[in-house]
Amino acid sequence: MSYEATPRIIGQRDAFFNALFDIFKADSNCILITADNGAPSLDQFVEQTPRQFIQVGIAEQNMIGMASGLAQEGKRVWTYCIAPFATSHVHEFVKLDVCASKLPITILGVGAGYAYAEMGPSHHTADDISIMRTCCGLEIYSPADSVCGAALAKLSYERLTPKYIRFDRAGIPNIYKADEYDFKPLTFLYPNWRKSECDAWIVSSGIMTHTALKVSEFFLKEKLEFGVVDVARVWPFDKDEFLAHVGQKNIITLEEHFLSGGLGSIVSEVLHDADNLNSLLRVGIPDVYHFEPWGRDEAHKKYGLTVDGVVKRIKDYLGEDWQ
Amino acid sequence: MIDVEFLAGKALQMRRQVLEMAVRKESGHVSTAFSQMELTVALYYGGLLNVDPKNPKWDGRDRFILSKGQGGLGLYPILADLGFFSEEEIDRFASPGGILGVHAEYNVPGIEVLTGSLGHGLPIALGMAHAARLANKKHFIFCLLGDGELYEGSNWEALFTAGGRYNESSAVGAYGHLILIVDNNKQATIGMHDELLYASDGPGLDPLANKLAAFGCEIRECDGHDFNDIFKSLEGFRDWPLITKPLCVIAHTDKGHGASVMQDVRLWHYRAPLGADLEQSKKELGME
Repeated sequence: MSYEATPRIIGQRDAFFNALFDIFKADSNCILITADNGAPSLDQFVEQTPRQFIQVGIAEQNMIGMASGLAQEGKRVWTYCIAPFATSHVHEFVKLDVCASKLPITILGVGAGYAYAEMGPSHHTADDISIMRTCCGLEIYSPADSVCGAALAKLSYERLTPKYIRFDRAGIPNIYKADEYDFKPLTFLYPNWRKSECDAWIVSSGIMTHTALKVSEFFLKEKLEFGVVDVARVWPFDKDEFLAHVGQKNIITLEEHFLSGGLGSIVSEVLHDADNLNSLLRVGIPDVYHFEPWGRDEAHKKYGLTVDGVVKRIKDYLGEDWQ
Repeated sequence: MIDVEFLAGKALQMRRQVLEMAVRKESGHVSTAFSQMELTVALYYGGLLNVDPKNPKWDGRDRFILSKGQGGLGLYPILADLGFFSEEEIDRFASPGGILGVHAEYNVPGIEVLTGSLGHGLPIALGMAHAARLANKKHFIFCLLGDGELYEGSNWEALFTAGGRYNESSAVGAYGHLILIVDNNKQATIGMHDELLYASDGPGLDPLANKLAAFGCEIRECDGHDFNDIFKSLEGFRDWPLITKPLCVIAHTDKGHGASVMQDVRLWHYRAPLGADLEQSKKELGME
């Protein structure tokens, strides 16, 4: 596997908005509502498609309710704010006004996990997957890079389903190549990019897929082949595809999310329900609020989410057998 | 010309049906249904609301959002009587095979949106108003709210935009074709405005008219059980400019109006009368 950090590139959110803007220009039925959250890539909407843009102020409940009213009248609607305010802050509005009402609204939240690490528990989004997957019919997307982020614009326009997309902040390198990329809920990344029989699979999404790839590189030096499952659509989880690929191999889930209800929980449910006896290690954030405003790397060190931390967890877990 | 006698007859007929439905199921919000009854009868039978029971999703209809979803019980007999759905559904209220539950749900013909959790109707109505404006449609969006519901902050979030200054560029703000009707029975669930245990003056809804006016609404007040007064409060709304203040009618009502045992007695928010209470209520509604 060759994982190389590319130079600073456009963020997932901006890649998404740029792609969405082309859709907005072609279809005036599309509306974007922001709850006072901006982005350089949003300015083009304000300037060139002003009748398709609504700023409701810091009023996320109204943002979701208004989106519902617009969608009930046939509009295609996207809402945008910081991830915790798009999820836990307005959960019931999403549940009733979007999902129970079966409307094709796309909720965009920026700042997944500890993207806003120094801003405290109010801005951490380590619970959104567990909260939002209780909204029946909601699809949850977690892009690992800007290529996937841009692809989600077209997908969110074409699929008439309720959706939540959790974006990371800017500065994350790309894994995928734009001209070769087709969106898939799960992408199986093999060591050395060649299909082989893996010794284990690391299941991750978003920024943690980058960590997973580096962990995989480490183990390859130890002559162990760890594949990585990049989960771009977290919910509903593509369980058939997953089970078909992972077989009976060891599985490690890696998430920048509380262990309660997140990706590790989802995978454990899938394995249990399929009567699979794979050994499963769930690496994530213990269920505590994080009050040390020292940045994302420090938070990852504290909870064992760095490459070194994850390698150690896996070695400890596998014990004598790991090599 | 308003036929007050006809409308009063309809209100009585609907109250009787509400009582029968609730007693049969021992379930439903009778007193809240009675509180809003003249308001909904005026809208549906008085020519105020432009709807087509044979074509509930007709694009040109006025939208009526029952934001106080617990008032579904009061609306169902009206919708059945007008032919939105079969009268048999009234008999199947909250029963197997029926479509009518305690709270308003959008799968019922004539019900626009899912409500029941308070504070959802107005933001949705606002979205519908904006969609109508973008499409140059002339229909009106009515939103019936409870006064107790106005403690939900989402209403005031919506009012910032609904009553806010019109923005030429985005076409957002100042929705003249959005009409709020507040069923102001001053009761909520466990009572707020009475002299008993729970906060004698209520936690601060009053002065309601001033608050709504400050948020950009045109305020009219009426006796919510007096048809002439209700019509007066909505006089000329069709000629209301589409870009101006939302009209807000504060209708002063009595919770449980029409049945003295439950009128303004907070015990009755979610309760069907039995025994002597039921007999008394039936007598007052002429159901002997």
